[in-house]
Amino acid sequence: MTVSFLTNWVHYLVAALFSVGLLGFLIRKNALVILMSIELMLNAVNLYVAKVSLALHSGAGLVLVVFAITVAAAEVAVGLAIILNLYRAKRSVDVDMFTGLKG
Amino acid sequence: MTPELISSLKQFAPEGVIISGLVFLFIMDAILPSSRESRLPLFVVLFSCILGALVTIGVIPTEASSLFSGVIQSDGVTTFFRLLFFFSCAGGTLLAYETKVLDRDSLSEFSLLILCVTFGMCLMASATNVLMLYIGIETVSIISFVMAGLKRDDARSNEASLKYLIFGAVASAIMIYGFSLIYGVTGSLNYGDIAKALIEGGGEPKWAILLSMVMVYVGLAYKISAFPLHFWTPDVYEGAPTPVTAFFSIAPKAAGFGAAIRFFLCVLSTPGEAGVWTPMALGHGAWTQAIAVLSVLTMLVGNLSAIGQKNVKRILAYSSVAHVGYLLMGFVSANAFGVTAVLFYLVAYCLMNLGAFWVVGLVADRKKSEDLEAFKGVGWEDPFLGVTMAIFLFSLTGIPMFSGFVGKFLLFSNVVQTPGFLWLAVIGVLNSVVSLFYYANILKAMWLDKPDTVVEAPVSSVHRIALAVLAIPTMVLGLYFEPILKVTQSLVATFR
Repeated sequence: MTVSFLTNWVHYLVAALFSVGLLGFLIRKNALVILMSIELMLNAVNLYVAKVSLALHSGAGLVLVVFAITVAAAEVAVGLAIILNLYRAKRSVDVDMFTGLKG
Repeated sequence: MTPELISSLKQFAPEGVIISGLVFLFIMDAILPSSRESRLPLFVVLFSCILGALVTIGVIPTEASSLFSGVIQSDGVTTFFRLLFFFSCAGGTLLAYETKVLDRDSLSEFSLLILCVTFGMCLMASATNVLMLYIGIETVSIISFVMAGLKRDDARSNEASLKYLIFGAVASAIMIYGFSLIYGVTGSLNYGDIAKALIEGGGEPKWAILLSMVMVYVGLAYKISAFPLHFWTPDVYEGAPTPVTAFFSIAPKAAGFGAAIRFFLCVLSTPGEAGVWTPMALGHGAWTQAIAVLSVLTMLVGNLSAIGQKNVKRILAYSSVAHVGYLLMGFVSANAFGVTAVLFYLVAYCLMNLGAFWVVGLVADRKKSEDLEAFKGVGWEDPFLGVTMAIFLFSLTGIPMFSGFVGKFLLFSNVVQTPGFLWLAVIGVLNSVVSLFYYANILKAMWLDKPDTVVEAPVSSVHRIALAVLAIPTMVLGLYFEPILKVTQSLVATFR
């Protein structure tokens, strides 16, 4: 009844997209690029859920996708506002510039 | 309206009160801009919380019932968490209004945001569907990012919100990947159906289940700041405005534990007789063993990093990580007593941590600094602050006669009663001893060191009443804890 693992190409595509996003988050220093990487991770998940939902003929997954898109939009809206505020102070969106908090 | 929907809405009334307060604040802000200068938003938040608590008590469920076709469960644990959230929301708002950390304009925004977070936390603690859990967590997270950066001109506050945002977004992305794998393997989003599919299908393929559970743990660990997702805690707690930190350190953490209780016991365990669950095997052993190891790592990291810190907010941030380690010990037994111990500890923790941050906020108001240096001689300047802080810190350490001791005693005895976990209790006790060192450091600064400059700033009576309201139960619960324990037990009894 469920999407069998290791036999469906969607798993590999999704895992690859998600990993690219995670790598981007880990190595890039530009806050905007980090936000974009996070977007990529979320959309990889959306693709996977949509595929499973189609395979199972169940609507629950599609509802999850719609909500995930909405949440991602809200997250980016807040994220851009925060980054804009930081840019005003330092004229840069490089995360290495923001290291004032240390213990 | 179907009868099911009507009965669901009745059980959902406390959240309804909070939403009404939220809408009222929105409208008031739009049509009455002068209300921003007044204390009106504070009263709206306090009124919503009190009314919400009264309605919660009015609809205490006698048995667990699923609401809205099974996305939310209403039971005693839901009731407990609602009351805890309303209390901490009211406390956090009062602290924000009475200290000078936030300016007037930010305060009305603060009131709106904190009500919104409270609503999200109620969803988190009662969700029995991964979609609902995700929405609850995101409601809390996204608004928390804004709250951490509420002081727009303060570089530290901005940095805190950036760090919170980036790590929070990644943690939730990893968590929803875990949810999607669960959906792929079991074909369902409801906790009950997932558990059934896991038992019937034997959880094949095993590695996918294990991977998805690790991913879900990442998301939950981020919310409760457990190892290895604790690293954001000190930075965010230090940078965020003190009232926001006080609120963050208790309420969203409790909400994370509410979500974890439901997820661990409803999805990853098979219910046996009343109040006993059998933990499911993941990988090479039951998940309780993994939680025990993570609990040890969390408390070690928290306690050892707290030593040598110079900023009191940072010390308290690491101490809150350590307390999450103690709280995780409640899960290893996977029974009702463990859940009761976690809930009781959350009550004690909520009182003493809010109190400790309250004192920090007052001292920061006087000295314009939260460093250990600023605390020098505060006990002699204002004995009331010194004594209440001593009560909160002794309770956080877990010294007998304070509520923290009773909470720790319940957690440790829960672990000792579970076969094979005696080592965990021993490490927990040793950790409590280590924690005494850095708590005593704060007390030493307050009482034994002489102040550099004496600041004459009388503490207003609102603060004195609030601190007394937090300090007296902290002491009374250390000796006379039976009523609260009985209530908690009867609330947990309806959880299944």
